[in-house]
Amino acid sequence: MQDEQVQQATLRLECEEFLYHTAELLDDRRLSEWHDLVTDDIEYRIPIRTTRERSKPTEFSKSAFHMKEDWGTLKVRTNRMASDFAWSEDPPSRTRRQVANVRITDVSDDEIDLKNNLVVVRSRKAETDPDILSMERHDTLRRDEDGYAPDWTERKGLKLARRTVLLDHTVIPTDSLSIIL
Amino acid sequence: MKILNDEDIYQRELNRIFAQTWVYVGHESEVPEPGDYRQRTIGEDPFVFVRDENGTLRVLFNSCRHRGANVCRAEKGNTTHFRCPYHGWTYQNTGDLVGVPQKGDGFDHLDADEYGLREAANVDTYNGLVFACIAPDAPQLEEYLGGATWYLDMYFDLIDMEVIGDPQRWVVDADWKTPTENFYGDNYHVPMGHKSAIDVGIGSETATGEEESELYGIADCDGHAFSIYQIDSEKPMFWGHPEDVVETFNHDALDDDQHEVARRSGVTLGTIFPNLSFIFLGGRDDPNKDPVGTFCLRQWQPRGPGKMEAWNWILAPKDAPAEYKERVYEVGMSTFSAAGNFEADDIGIWDGIDDAAGSVFVEQTEATTLFTMGRGENAAATIDDDWAGPGTAYADGGLTDENQLDFYRTWYETITTEGAE
Ligand code: FES
Ligand SMILES: [Fe+2]
Repeated sequence: MQDEQVQQATLRLECEEFLYHTAELLDDRRLSEWHDLVTDDIEYRIPIRTTRERSKPTEFSKSAFHMKEDWGTLKVRTNRMASDFAWSEDPPSRTRRQVANVRITDVSDDEIDLKNNLVVVRSRKAETDPDILSMERHDTLRRDEDGYAPDWTERKGLKLARRTVLLDHTVIPTDSLSIIL
Repeated sequence: MKILNDEDIYQRELNRIFAQTWVYVGHESEVPEPGDYRQRTIGEDPFVFVRDENGTLRVLFNSCRHRGANVCRAEKGNTTHFRCPYHGWTYQNTGDLVGVPQKGDGFDHLDADEYGLREAANVDTYNGLVFACIAPDAPQLEEYLGGATWYLDMYFDLIDMEVIGDPQRWVVDADWKTPTENFYGDNYHVPMGHKSAIDVGIGSETATGEEESELYGIADCDGHAFSIYQIDSEKPMFWGHPEDVVETFNHDALDDDQHEVARRSGVTLGTIFPNLSFIFLGGRDDPNKDPVGTFCLRQWQPRGPGKMEAWNWILAPKDAPAEYKERVYEVGMSTFSAAGNFEADDIGIWDGIDDAAGSVFVEQTEATTLFTMGRGENAAATIDDDWAGPGTAYADGGLTDENQLDFYRTWYETITTEGAE
């Protein structure tokens, strides 16, 4: 392989490891560790989707969201979910995040834009048919001293700087979004 | 208790409540221009809420008069015509049938005037809130709302409100009556149910105890009910809206009594029978940010016994600055919505009521839930005869079940009244 290709493949692997690691933190409910891996200026959004005609440029709202978060509001959420009185997640729902189809779309000095697909399988209590949430995420990862780096790389680690979650659902098919996507 | 998960009762509710009473379909600001439309449901039935080319609001049944296909297939948009994808019949946004392919050859005999889209028999608006009643003989909307208009004026006449964006929609494993009952005035659950959100510092000033307040439960209000926190202060409270926003309100729209209640209002919530609830609160999404007044309007849509779909619209004062409206949205979304820090816990708690309600045990023992709070000799909740508005006002209104009883009385009356079934 050419050097450049090797570099690209390594970069993708690095991003994938970041996504797998942060998915594991969320699946394992290590929420404050997850929050440590978002940048101070994070923009995190889940716009509302509506069914539109194909001629419309997008199905996603510019003004309406399920979540539209910054560092502080994400901190509020992760703190609240860790409380002993957060009834929506105690007993916790069991989530399994499947991250796939990672595509790097743009690379600059310290930022990487990428798309990835995510399926979250969520189960509660003794229910045998889980809720399934399916989406594409548009993420921007940024190099950061305190970011997550797999142990095989010498490079600075990564943090999440922007995330837009594009749900495949117009109606959220689960009781409440007391989880982070 | 079995009424929260019972197929027969559910069918009766669809037939006798949702098909007989006034049901909310949307806010005028969701369809500002001629041709604007939104798909909506009344009970489980599919309708299109549309402003026709003459500016009239209509609630058209979304089913072609030919073979029944949906003529409107996008959730929202703007159109002069709905064209059926099956055989191409075309209807104006007034519902009139204006095009039948090969009419001369196949439908020579058809009188197009008779085959417009079917529509809800009654559609009317109160202060921007649009309701429809499927049944032909309905009381006037204003008569149906009755005493509730006094309260609705405090929000929608005092403030020109508009809906921001699209509603959040999500499925909930609970019967539609469970949240409805809750929003009739279950204020007893707040300290326990919402402790996690209050503890992280995002509650309203009344919930966190920053402001001394008295909670009034307003029952006997023609089937609808409200809960109103009154803050004992000379300051303009107005649900947490800041002064410059309060200045944009239509203060002359209210009489002195209404205005005084509005001025002293902290959190306010309520429900218009059958399934339209709201919560108006000053809150925040982060303790380090300023609180804003936010208004969440929600509808608990029946989707089967023990199942519903929640719809949540966030409204802001139309004349407020754009950045403020954005904050109103953010705070509404992060407190009461599918991902709401408050709402999530309600839903987490309700999950399971439907399983118990549908159980054989409940059926065999005729188990009931309990609505006796506030009865007995030393009850804290007392009727306040000086309350200026309609209905019966209970001071210490968090400690009485009168509001919730009112819901079930209205519900019972409505499903036992013979309708055009
Ligand atoms: S079903 Fe609509 S045109 Fe035939
Ligand atoms: Fe609640």
